[in-house]
Amino acid sequence: MNKIVELRGLDKHYQQGELQVKAVDNVSLTIEKRDFAALCGPSGSGKTSILNLIGGLDSATSGKVLLEGIDLSALSNGELAEVRKNRVGFVFQSYNLIPVMTAYENAAFVLELQDIKPAMIRARVMKALADVGLAGMEERRPDQMSGGQQQRVAIARAIVTSPAIVLADEPTANVDSKTAELLLDLMEKLNREQGVTFLFSTHDQHVIDRAKRIIHILDGQVESDEQKI
Amino acid sequence: MNLITLASRNVFRHRHRTVVTTLAMAFACAMMIVFAALMDGFAIGSEHNVVSMNTGDIQIHLPGYRNEPDIYSLIDNADQLVEQFREEEFYASKRLFAFGLMASDRGSSGVQLRGVDLVYEPMVTEIDQHIMTGDWLNTLDQHGVVIGKKLSKLLDVSLGDELIFVGQTADGYMANDSFKVKGILKSVSPTIDNAGVFMSNIMLSELIALPKGAHELVLMRVDRTGDLTLKTAELKTSLGSGLEVMNWQQLMPIINRFLETAHIQTVIMMIFTYIAVAAVVLNAMLMSVFERVREFGIMKAIGVKPKQLVLLIYTEIFIQTLLAGFLAVFAGSSLSWYFQENGLDMSSLAEEISFAGIAFDPVWYAALTINSILIPVLFLFVIAAIAVIYPAAKVAIIKPIDAIHHQ
Repeated sequence: MNKIVELRGLDKHYQQGELQVKAVDNVSLTIEKRDFAALCGPSGSGKTSILNLIGGLDSATSGKVLLEGIDLSALSNGELAEVRKNRVGFVFQSYNLIPVMTAYENAAFVLELQDIKPAMIRARVMKALADVGLAGMEERRPDQMSGGQQQRVAIARAIVTSPAIVLADEPTANVDSKTAELLLDLMEKLNREQGVTFLFSTHDQHVIDRAKRIIHILDGQVESDEQKI
Repeated sequence: MNLITLASRNVFRHRHRTVVTTLAMAFACAMMIVFAALMDGFAIGSEHNVVSMNTGDIQIHLPGYRNEPDIYSLIDNADQLVEQFREEEFYASKRLFAFGLMASDRGSSGVQLRGVDLVYEPMVTEIDQHIMTGDWLNTLDQHGVVIGKKLSKLLDVSLGDELIFVGQTADGYMANDSFKVKGILKSVSPTIDNAGVFMSNIMLSELIALPKGAHELVLMRVDRTGDLTLKTAELKTSLGSGLEVMNWQQLMPIINRFLETAHIQTVIMMIFTYIAVAAVVLNAMLMSVFERVREFGIMKAIGVKPKQLVLLIYTEIFIQTLLAGFLAVFAGSSLSWYFQENGLDMSSLAEEISFAGIAFDPVWYAALTINSILIPVLFLFVIAAIAVIYPAAKVAIIKPIDAIHHQ
């Protein structure tokens, strides 16, 4: 199965006072395995809302989100938590890590939630941290790391469970351009070498330039969907 | 990372707040331990004052004697009964009473003569050890008497002074004799303090011409751990309706009721004190939760379930409460132990304290019991658990998306 995510007629409406805002308006698209795709558009266009719906963090007003064929709208909160734990990796803009945990513990935390054996956790976390270039920094806490290093830990945490998809919400928004390039290099490498599927929401041109697939979102709708060759 | 490690790190993330909250909890709990120990001490002291100073466990009279203490209301077979009780599971002693006027060189006052068995009375009460000045009675000095504290002031007498008694004998003649003050009691009860004159029952029986019988039999159980009510009922049945059998709880119902409700008073005091503690805990935990809403959102996003977050919050407060509990047990027990050994001197507030006909020592001693430690600590845990229901529920129900974007 190559379809990781399938959105069918997806709507997300918010009520702001008497005004109904259509954050997501009849969106249908699919994300394929090994995609390195960017949802792009201006602020408020609905890209983060789509990302949240795919990740099971929010529920749709109507339409369907199928993650590896599972209809998320049919799941309870507990089942959604299971799906997020096992099949989705998240990278947020900032405040991504648990501040009382070291880099190693942050990455290991989600594996511990999966009840994986400690020896296996150690092997996988050490590899994930090495993959993101943080070998030797396992014992550092978030406040002892730069913003770029923290995002690398977040990426390690997102990929350590071998999820179906990594959803990254403006992953370069809070880092300088050089660090942003390094993070993109890293994610591109993970996509290329390990086949990790990435879906970003971004309005950063650097990210858009590096993405293999660009989905333009405007006023909650898919304006265009381009696959780079 | 296991739950306890994560919770511990969260607890010590804001050390000042944790220290202030923990100290507030520990202080309140320590004070409650001291209060409970003082209340236990008061209860034990009260029962001691009632039972050991006067009533014993059980008293036996002729019906109606307590309301109208007639000199002729005698238990004729008193000697036989006390022998019988001693063969069962009791220490037993008999008492005689008479009323009259006692005079000294400088004053006079109505008195109650209390004739006690010099051998057996010390087995049923500790009145012989409750002497303020002088000595208790002895068989070698038949004319020596021990008098109440206030009576000594009323008559303006001290040790060795002479007293003249004038009263009536059982056969209608005038009873009079002279005595010497051998001892003055500490405060026992208003009746004894104001009018009590203790002498040997042999002396009193001669004085009032009552060679046989007793007005009162006092019993003390050899094993005091059993059910007193049951024992009283058994005695009542075996003695029949010709004698009135009452235990100290029936003789002193107000004191008994007070002692029965003493632990309720402690609990009420604890509830009020701990409401303040709950406010502190709630405030601290709300701060702790609200400043971590985004973090909880991230945790939910990566798959932590609401119940796991609730467990985390409860583990955090459990750790703080445990710390507070240890501190409180140490501080509260130390202070209670000090008051158990040295007492809390209330004499500056009142020279004499009496309640429901019983005098209390103005030095209030605590009694450090397992309950006086455990109950305040258990209450602390319960209150802390209640106080974090709201913050924990808040964390449990917040949507991850709202939490992540919380400002």
